[in-house]
Amino acid sequence: MTGRERAAAAVLLVFGVIALEEAGRLRFGSLARPGPGFFPVVLAAAFSLVCAALLVGPARARDAEAAAPLPRLGWPKVVATMAALFIYALVLEPVGFVAATFVLLLFFFRALERQRWLVALGSSLATALLTYLVFRVWLNVQLPAGPWGG
Amino acid sequence: MDLFHGLTYGFSVSLQPSNLVACFIGVFVGTLIGVLPGIGPVATMSLLLPVTFAMSPTASIIMMAGIYYGAMYGGSTTSILVNIPGEAASVVTCIDGYQMARQGRAGPALGISALGSFIAGTFSVLGIMLLAPPLTSVALRFGPPEIFGLLLLGFTMVTYLTAGSKLKAVAMALLGMLLGTVGLDPISASPRFTYGSVTLGDGLGLVPIIMGLFGISEVLLNIGQGVKQEVFDTRIKGLMPTREDWRRSAGPIARGSVLGFLLGILPGIGAIIPTFISYALEKRIARQPERFGRGAIEGVAGPEAANNAATGGSMIPLLTLGLAPNVVMAVLLGAFLIHGVQPGPLLMKEHPEIFWGVITSMYVGNVMLLVLNLPLIGLWVQLLRVPYGILFPLILLFCVIGVYSESANVWDIVVMLAFGVIGLLMKRFGFEAAPLVLAFVLGRMAEESIRQSLLMSSGRFSILLTRPIATVFIVAALSVVALPVLLPPVRRMLRTVPPDDTA
Repeated sequence: MTGRERAAAAVLLVFGVIALEEAGRLRFGSLARPGPGFFPVVLAAAFSLVCAALLVGPARARDAEAAAPLPRLGWPKVVATMAALFIYALVLEPVGFVAATFVLLLFFFRALERQRWLVALGSSLATALLTYLVFRVWLNVQLPAGPWGG
Repeated sequence: MDLFHGLTYGFSVSLQPSNLVACFIGVFVGTLIGVLPGIGPVATMSLLLPVTFAMSPTASIIMMAGIYYGAMYGGSTTSILVNIPGEAASVVTCIDGYQMARQGRAGPALGISALGSFIAGTFSVLGIMLLAPPLTSVALRFGPPEIFGLLLLGFTMVTYLTAGSKLKAVAMALLGMLLGTVGLDPISASPRFTYGSVTLGDGLGLVPIIMGLFGISEVLLNIGQGVKQEVFDTRIKGLMPTREDWRRSAGPIARGSVLGFLLGILPGIGAIIPTFISYALEKRIARQPERFGRGAIEGVAGPEAANNAATGGSMIPLLTLGLAPNVVMAVLLGAFLIHGVQPGPLLMKEHPEIFWGVITSMYVGNVMLLVLNLPLIGLWVQLLRVPYGILFPLILLFCVIGVYSESANVWDIVVMLAFGVIGLLMKRFGFEAAPLVLAFVLGRMAEESIRQSLLMSSGRFSILLTRPIATVFIVAALSVVALPVLLPPVRRMLRTVPPDDTA
């Protein structure tokens, strides 16, 4: 176990203990008549034990490879992508699929990928309309309705 | 219905025009997403689930299955030409396939992987036809203790055969089952961990979790780390392998087919592990093992045969028991359930058109793939040149559409995004997603079967060891844990290729 992995195990252990505490509120029942809490309690307890074992587990020789630094991750871009998607999910129903999708794609193509304005505008609009036509009109898949496209 | 009648009946179903079209769309889409790195069969099948609402159950399952084995074909193309696995089961193909391409032998490498896949696919279809009917009659004798025993065997397999830390895999499996308990208790229907939320009341959805862990997180990793896209830029000439290539490949294809099929049947294995075992096996028995890693065609033929045969093998538990042995089959199980069809021992009797239609369609699909793949390789090469900056917004958008269209609930998109972040962190910290998802799917069944078993036995766990079929599974599960410790050679066989072999 590397320091990084121990940290992950610690977070998981905290989650496991909280889950155990919450599962404990459910009716456990007895072995002969197990209740709703039976399985979650057993799982959360086992999960916490395994995480504790990961936390205190000995460092193994094979972990030398795992200890090597991870490839650099461009966090700003990842965070920007996730934030955009999260906002998109929230406005999807009030705004409608076509308009929301157009803005989302425009953000990806222009702000993140630095396409030229014309290319970004054109491909965002085309993709938003095409996916709407294919999924909603042709395949009859439900998409969020809204004032601008639904 | 005997085998011959089953077959002729099956072909009469699978050759109907609408089913042929479904099969074609399935294998075509499968190959397409197999070629594209960063989107795999699991995410695609989940994405297309809602599209199948309007189709007949038979056509839906035919299409879904087509995506899976189509992806196995397509994945190898990217491995060979770009040295990036198009999807996870083609990782091993990169090793020798890309070396062959660098030596100007991309054609034979692509050819042998398509032909080897075809042979293995055909073999596994024959295997299903022969094995599924007798297994169905065994499956009819399954009660809760037997189901629990089999699930236990599956969990043991999936955790003990992962490439990384076993303890981490156990942790992920337990976490998956724990997440599966969110929602209504399957027996008493009382809410658990829902905190008054309507979305949580239905339980966490399989599709948002899969799309998050396998789709979104992959895209995030790619845009975070950057993807190197160097398509091998030589003209691909002569796809047909030479007589010498065939002589070298015949053994690996035959061994890969048998190995992949048999391993594929076992719960928890999937299509990836057989490729590693096949590669290790071929290298071990080769007369000149030093050729491996330097463009040995055996290193392409064996694993490619193995992953295709495994897809067929993994259909068996689903069709005969209604049990999903791996994540892909879990999605396929979802497709069955959406149409109100319960796969399992009664499927063959109650829905012969689905049972035999799907099996024979896999044969039809394999022929289509062979015809499709060899001439279309040029098109796939073009596709690989599409810059990732164009591709990733589209993949993200398709994930959103797929999740929303399944439930019409925006909170499922939020669940997917959350699991996208979790998946990214899991990848960074070396935790695998497959045990989590499989356990999430099987957890509910595991809970029901163990609680029903305890009800049957008035609280005595010994019921798991007093019924012969259940005992066999429990003993098998224990041996999976014990054998590698007891027998170092077995441990070497079961261990996937160690890092120094792949370098």
